[in-house]
Amino acid sequence: MEESEKSSQSTISSFQVFSIHVCRGLALAKPENCSYLKAISRGLLGLPVGALLNALGALALGAPVGLQYFERTISWTLLMSSLTFVPTACVYGSCWTDWHRIFACTKPKGPLDFMLCLPAHGAVIGAWFGAWPMPLDWERPWQDWPICVSYGAVGGYVAGMVGSLALALMRTGGKQLKAE
Amino acid sequence: MAPLTCTKLSVITITGVIIQIIGLSLFVFGFFPVKPALPGTSGSESFYAPTCDFVGNLSDTTLPSDQLKSLYQELSGIPPSFDRLILMVIDGLPAEFVLGKNGKPPNKQFKEGMPYTQSLLASGSAIGYHAKAAPPTVTMPRLKAMVSGAIGGFLDVAFNFNTQAMMDDNLLGQFFRIGWKMVMLGDETWIKLFPRLFERHDGVSSFYVKDTVQVDQNVSRHLGDELWKDDWNLLILHYLGLDHVGHIGGRSSVLMVPKLKEMDEVVKLIHSSINQSQGNRRGRALLVIVSDHGMTENGNHGGSTYEETDSLALFIGLRNHVFDYAPVIKQIDIAPTLALLFGVPIPKNNVGVMIREAFDSLKEDQHLRALELNAWQLLRLLHAQLSGLPCRNFPCDAFYDHQSSDSSECNHTTENMLCCLYMEAAALYTSWKSKRGFESSSNKDYRSTAAAYYKFLKSASEWLSRRTTDKPVKVLVLGLATMFISSVMLSNLMFCRLREIYHGGKQQASNLNDSMNGWSFDETFIISVVLILVTCMTSSSMVEEEHYIWYFFISTFYLLLLRKTAQSLSSVGLQSSFPMQKGKSGEGYFRICCIFLLLISGRILRGWHQGGVNWTSLPDISKWLEQAGSQYVKPLQLISAILVISIGLFALFSIESKGKYFQMVRLIFLISGLLVLLHITRYQDFTFSSTNYGATLLVQIIYAILGATTIGTVVALPWLIPLSTSKISPTDNTISPPFFPSIQEKFPLVEFRDSLYVIGWAYILCWCLLQLLLQQPINTTPILLLLLQTVASVLYFLRSGTHHKEWVEIAGFYYLGMAGHFALGNSNTLATIDVAGAFIGISNHSTFLSGILMFVITYASPMFILLSLVMCISTKSMAHLVIPEKENAGDLLMMMLGFPCLVPLVINSILLTAYTVVLLLMQNHLFVWSVFSPKYLYVCATTVCTFIGVFIVAATGSYTYFVLAKRKQKACTRVYSTCSS
Repeated sequence: MEESEKSSQSTISSFQVFSIHVCRGLALAKPENCSYLKAISRGLLGLPVGALLNALGALALGAPVGLQYFERTISWTLLMSSLTFVPTACVYGSCWTDWHRIFACTKPKGPLDFMLCLPAHGAVIGAWFGAWPMPLDWERPWQDWPICVSYGAVGGYVAGMVGSLALALMRTGGKQLKAE
Repeated sequence: MAPLTCTKLSVITITGVIIQIIGLSLFVFGFFPVKPALPGTSGSESFYAPTCDFVGNLSDTTLPSDQLKSLYQELSGIPPSFDRLILMVIDGLPAEFVLGKNGKPPNKQFKEGMPYTQSLLASGSAIGYHAKAAPPTVTMPRLKAMVSGAIGGFLDVAFNFNTQAMMDDNLLGQFFRIGWKMVMLGDETWIKLFPRLFERHDGVSSFYVKDTVQVDQNVSRHLGDELWKDDWNLLILHYLGLDHVGHIGGRSSVLMVPKLKEMDEVVKLIHSSINQSQGNRRGRALLVIVSDHGMTENGNHGGSTYEETDSLALFIGLRNHVFDYAPVIKQIDIAPTLALLFGVPIPKNNVGVMIREAFDSLKEDQHLRALELNAWQLLRLLHAQLSGLPCRNFPCDAFYDHQSSDSSECNHTTENMLCCLYMEAAALYTSWKSKRGFESSSNKDYRSTAAAYYKFLKSASEWLSRRTTDKPVKVLVLGLATMFISSVMLSNLMFCRLREIYHGGKQQASNLNDSMNGWSFDETFIISVVLILVTCMTSSSMVEEEHYIWYFFISTFYLLLLRKTAQSLSSVGLQSSFPMQKGKSGEGYFRICCIFLLLISGRILRGWHQGGVNWTSLPDISKWLEQAGSQYVKPLQLISAILVISIGLFALFSIESKGKYFQMVRLIFLISGLLVLLHITRYQDFTFSSTNYGATLLVQIIYAILGATTIGTVVALPWLIPLSTSKISPTDNTISPPFFPSIQEKFPLVEFRDSLYVIGWAYILCWCLLQLLLQQPINTTPILLLLLQTVASVLYFLRSGTHHKEWVEIAGFYYLGMAGHFALGNSNTLATIDVAGAFIGISNHSTFLSGILMFVITYASPMFILLSLVMCISTKSMAHLVIPEKENAGDLLMMMLGFPCLVPLVINSILLTAYTVVLLLMQNHLFVWSVFSPKYLYVCATTVCTFIGVFIVAATGSYTYFVLAKRKQKACTRVYSTCSS
């Protein structure tokens, strides 16, 4: 019972997060002269693609395979996708150069890139660390498959957000100082 | 700092290794004491209260046995309840099969398998117990525990295959001293433990694990005769078949129920013969059925899970007693119980407590007397272990001085508490004795006295058995310090090398890729793996589930590589003007394919065995295949074996060479591959395997061929490989950068790489074939996957050229080997060691050979990776690292062999030292003997494996190099001399 409840919770939260992201993506995308509609459709397209990639990564790292885990894995991947993929998809669409710059090389330029790059990396690293308690024998309900990983992802995401905000402020502050 | 030369490097490395070996052995012998024990044997003094002067018993030893027997009887005040004892040991029988678990009756099929025993239990004429065995749950230490009541040292496991005579005080020795005649049928471990005690014996070897029938027939064939005879007092029957059934097929093997039926028949035979002889000259007999240990679901044992420690103790012949569910005792409780029942002194080092129900038939005073004797014995042991036992000048003063023991003293320390409990019981006993005449309160007093005694006995026994023995702290610290120094030496050496290569050569290497010099993410990851691993090892749960860490790390490492490949991929794509763009991006896709292959096969390997301790019951591929039946396993095994052999042969054929010698090597490997296939198809039957002469001979032939070919290749190849200026290179090495011509002239680089390539593949193929032969059939596919992973990562690193530093690659290989170790079903408990495989192809019992085979099976994967390093070296092009100005033979060799030898040594020594610290910190942890110590044994074995592997790599490399250099020199001088003439 509890498990199904948890998984439905995480589904709901993933959709909430998704909507938040679309909004944020819209806000960010505005200066790029993109229409909102385009950004939303990019985000919607990015969601399943990101979910697929995240699922592959999680399976490679040892996520359990099996029908009983299927639903949970799907909701987790949707959450992860909306934390990592959707914002970038909203902003940059399918431009390979930008994706490559942000995700493969981690060389963000400008506050916009920071806002995309740091939270996404934070979410992935947080999820990675979140998986650590899973094999332990504490017999807690939250040790089940996607729960602690999701907590870790959200935690890392928040940390990334804060970090990117701080960095962006520092950058702008530094620029202003230089300008003065 | 002076640059490292090859000689200096090797001297420091060898010194470091030797220091490490010394430190490790110091620590191991300090930490695992063989067995601390009170010297001597109990005599008549054990029937008196402990006193200061223990010299009264010297006259005992000279007494003839019948006088000694009557002396004991007179002193003990307890008439022996029985005259004869039949001890039936059923090796590996879990008590769950007979008594059920948690109050539930046993599994239906097992219950129906032993109808007679179950009827005895139901009627109450048999009293059954779950006798908890102490780890290690291996036969010899358990037998020792049962007859001496003492808990042995941990390293007794190591001596399990090298059984030696038992010198400590034990029941059999006590029986022998009072003139008992003893007969032993069954496991010859008993004969080795007690070489001269038995009147008659027929030992069977426990080493042919595949034989489940003959071992037990050899015991039962004498049973009719022996039961009819009346000259013995003790008959020991040790049935091994059930353990062998477990080793082959696990708890749910199809052979299990028939085996239980057979055991039930034996019980029935013995019990009816006891009943017939009741009251005649043969005397009253007690039948005790015990098992030495249980078994896991897979039929292994050695660890400390409930399944393994849940052994059986069944008494038939005591006063009837029906339990709702069987109580739990300790296995060591059997020794004092039997000693008191048969009127001999309790063995000196006994830690057990007499079993209450066994003394139901005694009178009250006899029961209390038995309790007192047991308490005295434990008190002596306590006193020996605790020189500061604060029992009011115990043992010189009188005990009955109980007013002086204040209640405040009672709760401070364990010692005080034990002392108090004892004094209380002794006081109650004296008051009971003085009041015995009066009927009124006697019964109540008796009960409270008995309860007080049991309380003392239980807590003393608990304390004694849990107490870790005193360790020589100085030796431990010295050992640890030595290990620490050696690991610092080795790591320092490696950092020197790193600095020299990547910073000293910066000026020359400026044309190289940026990533050569920067500190990139994968390097940080490789180092943090070691750190995280060390941190995790402090938690017992993480030690139990270590495989998850390795799987997680290795796949994360590949994902990082994937990211790195993606980085380089489009950095090429961006510079579209680059002329080699197309070829390079093709390279990139090839590398991505390699990584996907690595990831997929890694995931399958991870799912193959659900290892560890807590999640073993979850479904995995091997369980699923085994359930599906051998018609699926067999073809899979065959296909995997054929693929392994063909990959190996293909790699050997891929080098283009004309020499006859090469053809011969290939041919021989082909033949031995076919022989292995023959063995798999004909002899490696899934459940029913017995010792078969043909199979053994075939396996021995394969061993001989493989050994001769591999050694022959290694020794002869450098002499026979054609020396020429023409290019002979492995086909997958087409893109190697051009060599500096001067180096090529001076040094036999091409030949060196070619011969290392062939030798490396010879090693790999030989090891794989050996594993195909030895591993369980279900493990064949993991071997194929491991081979694929190795080839894929070699190809990946080859194609990525200078993107990765060499030490990162070697460390990646090492981690791959550790992940593979767990993927083959190993874990950090001793239970997963495959004992059955260790006797394949051994015609007569040899501890040494089967030990080697066990090592080969268990360390298949780490060793495989280390051996494949030889092949890996050959694919590397070192030319870019050689500094042309100061080229010399040593430098080149150091370039080739430096990191492949240093990196495994450094990683291993850091892990070893860190784990030693952990073990020292955890020495009072509850799980020190069940979790941390087995893990430490594994760490030690990994160290040995690393040493052997690195030695092979280094020796092969240097030997090949020097032989080739010598030949080249000769060839050069010949050329010169012909020129000059």
